[in-house]
Amino acid sequence: MVVGEISQERELVIIGGGPGGYSAAIRAAQLGLPVTLIEQADLGGVCLNKGCIPSKVFTYAAKKKSEMSHLQELGLPAVEGTFNLGQLVSYKAKVTEQLRKGVESLCKANKVEVIQGKAGFIAEDRIGVENGHQFDIYVFKQAIIATGSSPVWPKGMLAGSSRVLLSHEIFSLTDMPKHLLVYGNDYISLEVATSFAALGAQVSVLLENTADFPFDESVNKELNRLLKKKKIQVVKEASIQSAEETANGVHVTVRAGGKEESLEGTHLFAAGSRRPNVKELGIDRFGVEQTDEGFIQVNGNMQSSVPSIYAIGDVTEGPLLAVKAIKQGKAAAEAIFGGKPEVDLTFVPAIAHTIPPIASAGLTEKQARDLGMDIRVSQFALGSNGYAMISGKKDGFVKVISDASNDIITGIHMIGEGAVELSGTFVQLLEMAAKEEDVKFPSYAHPSFNEGLLEAVEGLIGQAIHVAPKKRKEIKAT
Amino acid sequence: MLELFYKGGNDVLEVKLHDIGEGMTEGEILHYLVKKGDRVTADQPLVEVQTDKMVAELPSPGTGTIKEIVVDTGTTVQVGTTLLYIEAEGGAAASEDEPKRNEQVKTEAAAEKKTVKRAFASSFNRVLATPFTRKIARDNNIDIEDVTPMDPSGRVTEEDVYRFLRGEQEPQADTAVPEKQAVSDERALRQTAAPDEIPFRGMRKQIAKKMTKSLFTIPHVTHFEEVNMTNLLKLREELKAAGVSVSVPAFFVKALVIALKDFPVFNAELDEENDKILLKKEYHIGLATDTEDGLIVPVVHDADKKSIKEIHNDMKRLNEKAKNGELKPADIRNSTFTISNVGPLGSIGATPIINYPETALVAFHKTKKRPIVNENDEIVIGHVMTLSMSFDHRVADGATAVAFTNRFASLIEQPNKLMLEMI
Repeated sequence: MVVGEISQERELVIIGGGPGGYSAAIRAAQLGLPVTLIEQADLGGVCLNKGCIPSKVFTYAAKKKSEMSHLQELGLPAVEGTFNLGQLVSYKAKVTEQLRKGVESLCKANKVEVIQGKAGFIAEDRIGVENGHQFDIYVFKQAIIATGSSPVWPKGMLAGSSRVLLSHEIFSLTDMPKHLLVYGNDYISLEVATSFAALGAQVSVLLENTADFPFDESVNKELNRLLKKKKIQVVKEASIQSAEETANGVHVTVRAGGKEESLEGTHLFAAGSRRPNVKELGIDRFGVEQTDEGFIQVNGNMQSSVPSIYAIGDVTEGPLLAVKAIKQGKAAAEAIFGGKPEVDLTFVPAIAHTIPPIASAGLTEKQARDLGMDIRVSQFALGSNGYAMISGKKDGFVKVISDASNDIITGIHMIGEGAVELSGTFVQLLEMAAKEEDVKFPSYAHPSFNEGLLEAVEGLIGQAIHVAPKKRKEIKAT
Repeated sequence: MLELFYKGGNDVLEVKLHDIGEGMTEGEILHYLVKKGDRVTADQPLVEVQTDKMVAELPSPGTGTIKEIVVDTGTTVQVGTTLLYIEAEGGAAASEDEPKRNEQVKTEAAAEKKTVKRAFASSFNRVLATPFTRKIARDNNIDIEDVTPMDPSGRVTEEDVYRFLRGEQEPQADTAVPEKQAVSDERALRQTAAPDEIPFRGMRKQIAKKMTKSLFTIPHVTHFEEVNMTNLLKLREELKAAGVSVSVPAFFVKALVIALKDFPVFNAELDEENDKILLKKEYHIGLATDTEDGLIVPVVHDADKKSIKEIHNDMKRLNEKAKNGELKPADIRNSTFTISNVGPLGSIGATPIINYPETALVAFHKTKKRPIVNENDEIVIGHVMTLSMSFDHRVADGATAVAFTNRFASLIEQPNKLMLEMI
């Protein structure tokens, strides 16, 4: 410590104002703790400003555009003119700004002190915040690190190309790509692929180093079928060797199935990977334990190896998802307050806002079988659902897996309209350890997509009403 | 996506004996690989356990320091018993909880483990209780895993937690009584003298389960074949004279792998869900082995990449391990085709049950001296072995199966042909 250093005292300091950080701040404030939130850029973090929200503006627009032809079937007039990407980008800016202002005013209303600047630890109980020429030091009782993660460029690609784009860049494009190459194997790659295809681009998916998509095998099969129908080419087990920008596009050398081939496109989107934003915090010097990949190790209370320091969200291990950060943020605040929170990520749903969307929670059929469980499996096609017929969204299905030994639902997977909103029911059922009867008993709105879930569960015992007897899948107990 | 994560619990991690396969119900603590005060990292082996037929290592569920070892070496304990506690990293608050934890250990020991075993609790960290019930348990410093559910499905209710809090553990067994009572009443009427009882559990029960599943799932067809072993036995004698001793089954495994490459449908698995037959690229040959406790199937992995001598050494090693109960889980996994060598015991034919989810199995019977007609139409003494091949008729048809055993027999009858397949 420098002699004569002036420091200010704070109770709880949270570094990073993303969804995890601001949720932690507001929850702590609700519990009566004085909170200081330090943010170096914009409140809302990557999620609100560059990730989840901007990408959903695009997927939403794409979905609406894909509905055009069906709307004309209903007698609604065709929309004249071409799609204006520039306008969508400004709409995105408007949405993110509104949401950001909402977060700012919530912080204010909860009396969360928001400090603009870049934070770095000086010791286990003090932190420096740099903002231009100003440098302030705060002594704290507890700190929560919520600094998130940053993209890492995939091998063989260089940053700075206007045609090779990562997830935070592609949703700021102002010119529609003619032929977009999508390189990745996660939900964001799929969202980019189906959205840009619906918005008018030719799309090729290079499935990064995996043989198939990350969902239940039946969902993967349906997804493959739908991509083919939309003329989206899928190259499996692909590994990009090099990507070069040419005069009017990108030239990509890809290795797939033991062969090298060249692909041309106008743009390349790469999902890339992410690394935790930990290095610049200076926590190494007082021994906050990290994994080999640099993630901060925490216990069930989100507490690091240094008791006064907590960590949440992308800087900790596990899926890099806002849903995890939000949950951990609230838990950390509650733990600091003296509560006994629990973060159990067993049933975090896997979601993709594709066309149609995908939602998946619990065990896949294969995972259940690999665990040696005796299971029942049932799949209900949305083609037999009344509301799917009305809305012209007949693709997809709901698939349910239950434990044959005790009737408890262990996995629900859906591809089709309404999947994302229905996923709330899926996780609810799984967290409540619901049995088949618990799903069959309630009354479901008619007509609605909810009935798809009901009939999938009824199908577990061969009682789905809208499935012809011969088509009923045998009750499979293994 | 959909990965399973370790459930973030309290500051103390409990390491319990869980079912590591083959339907084990109990295990003997052979020795601890760590001691109190040691720092351990996730997945580091903590303790060696002798189960019915295997020696298994239990890995650490997380990083921390060994706080207490509660079961002594040499003790045999039931599945579900807590063996040791690890103080998780950063868990400074744990000392406060200590007295309560220890009380729990006692309660648990007293409860004598009548717990309904929670399904797949060991590998899929799901808590079968509503979030509200879990909160009641957390708020009262109870590990919900310690609460015995009334519901036989393993679902823990609020009432179960409150009962646990009041210190009443048990009565759960009562719920199942009426049905069981009825069955035993009926038995009582029929039987006068009390029969001797053998507990139907552990490996025996596991074998029963596997066999039932295989036979009820796979439409089995079995055919028989005779193989003239004369040349192979001669070759083996020649090798022996040259100082190389190789068992006959090692030749069988090699010849089978060669035949399987020509008929990949027998080195396969039917994936009915996705309407696919998966032709395996690995050749892992399971060896049905008889032990005191029952049948176990250790596996010669990558038999296609091994010489006959290497296969022989593998088989010898696995057989010894099986006999001494030293097989590790890795030794009995992933077979793609199974053989049953019952020849040394006798018999001339069988209708073996396929090792599910494989598509075929071959049993080798006793080689006997028989009069055979040689190429000069003379009756001579030949060494003849019979084999029985069962296959999955959904996946293949009889003609293919016969072609397969013909190919196998030709390699054994003229073992010099094996040379042509050397890589």
